[in-house]
Amino acid sequence: MSGLYVHLPFCPYICPYCDFAKWPHRRSAAARYLDALAAETARAPAFSAETIFLGGGTPNTYDPADIAALVERLRARFFVPAGAEITSELNPDLELCEGFDAYRAAGITRLSFGAQSFVAPELEMLGRRHSPDDVRTAFARAREAGFENLSLDLIFGAPGQTTASWETSLDAALALEPQHISTYGLTIEDGTPFRAWQAREPEAFADNELEADLYGLAIDRLGAAGYEHYEISNFARPGFRSRHNANYWANGPYLGLGVGAASFLGGVRSVNTRDLDRYCAAALEGSPIPVNSECLTGTARAGEAAMLALRTAEGVETQSFAERYGIDFLTHYAEVLSEMRAAGLVESSPSHVRLTRRGRFVANDVCAAFVTVP
Amino acid sequence: MTTIAKPAVGRVASDVRNFCIIAHIDHGKTTLSDRLLEITKTIATRGLEEQHLDAMDLERERGITIKMHPVTLRYLAQDGNEYSLNFIDTPGHVDFSSEVSRSLAACEGALLVIDAAQGIEAQTLANYHLALDHGLKIIPIINKIDLPAADPDRVRGEIEEMLVIEASEAILASAKEGIGIEEILEAIVTRIPPPTGTEEYLRALVFNAQFDSYRGVVSYVRVKDGSLRQGSRFMSMAQKKVYEATEVGVFTPEMRRTDSLEMGNVGYVIANIKSLGDIDVGDTITEAANPAPEPLVGYKPIVPMVYCGLYPNEGVEVSDLRDALEKLKLNDSALHYEPESSIALGFGFRCGFLGLLHMEIVQERLERNYNLDLIATSPSVVFRVTMSDGVVELIDNPAKFPARDKMLKIEEPYVKATVITPPDYVGTIMDLTQTRRGTLRNMEYLHDGRVILTYELPLAEVIVDYFDQLKSRTKGYASLDYEVIGYREGDLVKLEILLNAEPVDALSFIVARDKAAFRGRALTEKLKELIPRQMFDVPIQAAIGGKIVARETVSAMRKNVLAKCYGGDITRKRKLLEKQKVGKERMKRVGRVDLPQEAFMAVLRLEDGS
Repeated sequence: MSGLYVHLPFCPYICPYCDFAKWPHRRSAAARYLDALAAETARAPAFSAETIFLGGGTPNTYDPADIAALVERLRARFFVPAGAEITSELNPDLELCEGFDAYRAAGITRLSFGAQSFVAPELEMLGRRHSPDDVRTAFARAREAGFENLSLDLIFGAPGQTTASWETSLDAALALEPQHISTYGLTIEDGTPFRAWQAREPEAFADNELEADLYGLAIDRLGAAGYEHYEISNFARPGFRSRHNANYWANGPYLGLGVGAASFLGGVRSVNTRDLDRYCAAALEGSPIPVNSECLTGTARAGEAAMLALRTAEGVETQSFAERYGIDFLTHYAEVLSEMRAAGLVESSPSHVRLTRRGRFVANDVCAAFVTVP
Repeated sequence: MTTIAKPAVGRVASDVRNFCIIAHIDHGKTTLSDRLLEITKTIATRGLEEQHLDAMDLERERGITIKMHPVTLRYLAQDGNEYSLNFIDTPGHVDFSSEVSRSLAACEGALLVIDAAQGIEAQTLANYHLALDHGLKIIPIINKIDLPAADPDRVRGEIEEMLVIEASEAILASAKEGIGIEEILEAIVTRIPPPTGTEEYLRALVFNAQFDSYRGVVSYVRVKDGSLRQGSRFMSMAQKKVYEATEVGVFTPEMRRTDSLEMGNVGYVIANIKSLGDIDVGDTITEAANPAPEPLVGYKPIVPMVYCGLYPNEGVEVSDLRDALEKLKLNDSALHYEPESSIALGFGFRCGFLGLLHMEIVQERLERNYNLDLIATSPSVVFRVTMSDGVVELIDNPAKFPARDKMLKIEEPYVKATVITPPDYVGTIMDLTQTRRGTLRNMEYLHDGRVILTYELPLAEVIVDYFDQLKSRTKGYASLDYEVIGYREGDLVKLEILLNAEPVDALSFIVARDKAAFRGRALTEKLKELIPRQMFDVPIQAAIGGKIVARETVSAMRKNVLAKCYGGDITRKRKLLEKQKVGKERMKRVGRVDLPQEAFMAVLRLEDGS
């Protein structure tokens, strides 16, 4: 399994919690960026892309024709087998949700909408400019265009959110019958307007108790509706897990194209520069794109793999772990595991070690035990 | 304490003067020292490092002197004669008064430096009285007269009023600007008496000692009688050990060997002394073949006043800590340590210090110079406990406090504390000191409006943040000095802290019975702030004699999970977890609970209350 990620960093507006590589949309910059991407694509190594993911930013700030042309270029450069999963993220702003037919024609198989909430005041708090109804309409348009694999993102822990309002959002999401739902606990990142707000007014944000209640509510409600909790923040109807993301947690190889995009090839993790100008200039000049990279070995590599695998419902598969990393998971981490087991955070079968429900709430405390301190 | 020995009448070393400088902290002692070295060309120009005599970084950072470095200045006086001025530096802090005392015993005179803007402070007074007790000639110096806020007239008034010295004797100076330095040197020559002594036998006071890894112990001596020659055999009068003086010499300020050290002079002697424990600072050395009938001063071993436990944190070997303590002890004879073990913290050392500052300095040296990650338990005084069978025990560790029914009587050390403050803060100082079980003994108004408050209070109350509280309540204006005055009976109980229902010996402390419940509540609240959430609820309880007096709970961490972990995030997210792991590893695991280092010092950070 290997995946291709393409970063499209422009947004119609900037959300106050976001710390991805993103810029407000400008026509000239966006056009230049597509040229830079084309140049980087042309020079990229040969690669088999069983999944493609267009992430952002907001990919649908581009015209559907641009997106279609982009996907076409990727198909021309890389081997994209039949049945590949090709996803695009979308902002459900209706002005940007036109021309889904063109997406379909380009071979995109899956759409992921940043709904975030179905409660209008919460959307406002989050700096989102679409309404709950816009999400419903966008969803209907996607279905009309023939998409059968749709996903919704929701955020919990937003300022002003309560367990009741969260239930409203969960129910509204379920009413749309998406194939896939991601629920993300709001993370306050350094350098964002939300960080400054939190510093001024920490009580505006959910405390640890409320966050836990909200997360528990999502697990219960979505589970009861037949969604499988297959990763800490992800739920899917049977057969509709995100294959692209599953590859990350399986520690599989991927190639990232675009500003700030990350790759994991031949055991080396590298991230393209987050400086838009430098990225475009380097790509267009044909000079190397500046990257930060690292290559973990030995137990550090194994620990990172454990950190990723434990996020999934299956957890660590001990036999393949031993084959890949040369470490017997159960004996190498015996002490940690017995402590975690005693605390009710992990459980194991003869072939797997995975987080318990309680373990998922405090996954950092579990996973931190496996990473190695440099 | 009058310790000056009656000089045997004999020779006068008329070209020698021995002096020291005493001052309140920040009144300019070190700058004046530098200036004296400079003007007598003892150091050619101002060296790369300012403040030549304070050789240790920590001291420089804190602006205080701990170790004494004597130096001989050659000075051509106005009378046409050249003099050897032996300058013996003194530590500036109250913790080190025993060391100050030994330095004073090596001198005939003292420069008392007073800040022209701040006037006389608590340490000025304390040092002045100490110098008087040693019979020294005192030369008051009003320093920093260049400051805009300088008020020399006011300070002159204080000198007459508080020190009972003629105001006309005070020399106006600015060490920084080089004003008054000549006048000071002349005053040293004309006002301080030359040393006198006998030539019948040798008596030299060991006023300090340093350990040199190549040469062993270097003893700093003041020759009171006779002379100390290289190659002679001498005896330490307290330990009665005999050594051969392989090298003697003077400080210029570098050590320079000479054939002998003559009566009245200051210098060093190196013998084959392997450890500081073999020579007692304060001891007298005499010639083995012709011993003096009496030693110079009553020999008094240094008694640590404050104890705390030092334990290696996770990842530090106890043997590394022992090695580091051994090395520190080579040059710090006041540091005491012995192995102890705590149920909570494992193996470590019970360490005794002269005072809180000494404790902090030792901890910082261990952490910085030896790169050790340590856990320090909160400081304790030495309690004197009379057991039911009449046996008296000294207890320096609250964890070892005997059970209540096994004790007849508990006594604790008391201090006389002198606080000088502007009048606005008298109320708040009284509040503070009263909650610290202080009794006001005297209150005196100075003619500049400031007030001298004299208190008696338990040392245990002083070492728990009293100085910082005093400073913060008076915006830094009040000054403090204290001396231990003896033991008094107290109604004291041991307050135990339980985490997860298990007593944690390293967190227990001794407290006055009528304040115990309040302190217990304050401490459990503080610990609740300091202890991070764990995977389970952690009850924190305070108990006296098995009875719970306070309880708080650190509720379990319910959610701690990275929401997103996709391609671009993996490295960054892994680093977040690495950081979390490092934080956890720095904590000490007691039972099942991870405690940050600060938790063990929490008792120092309690708010005062009734």
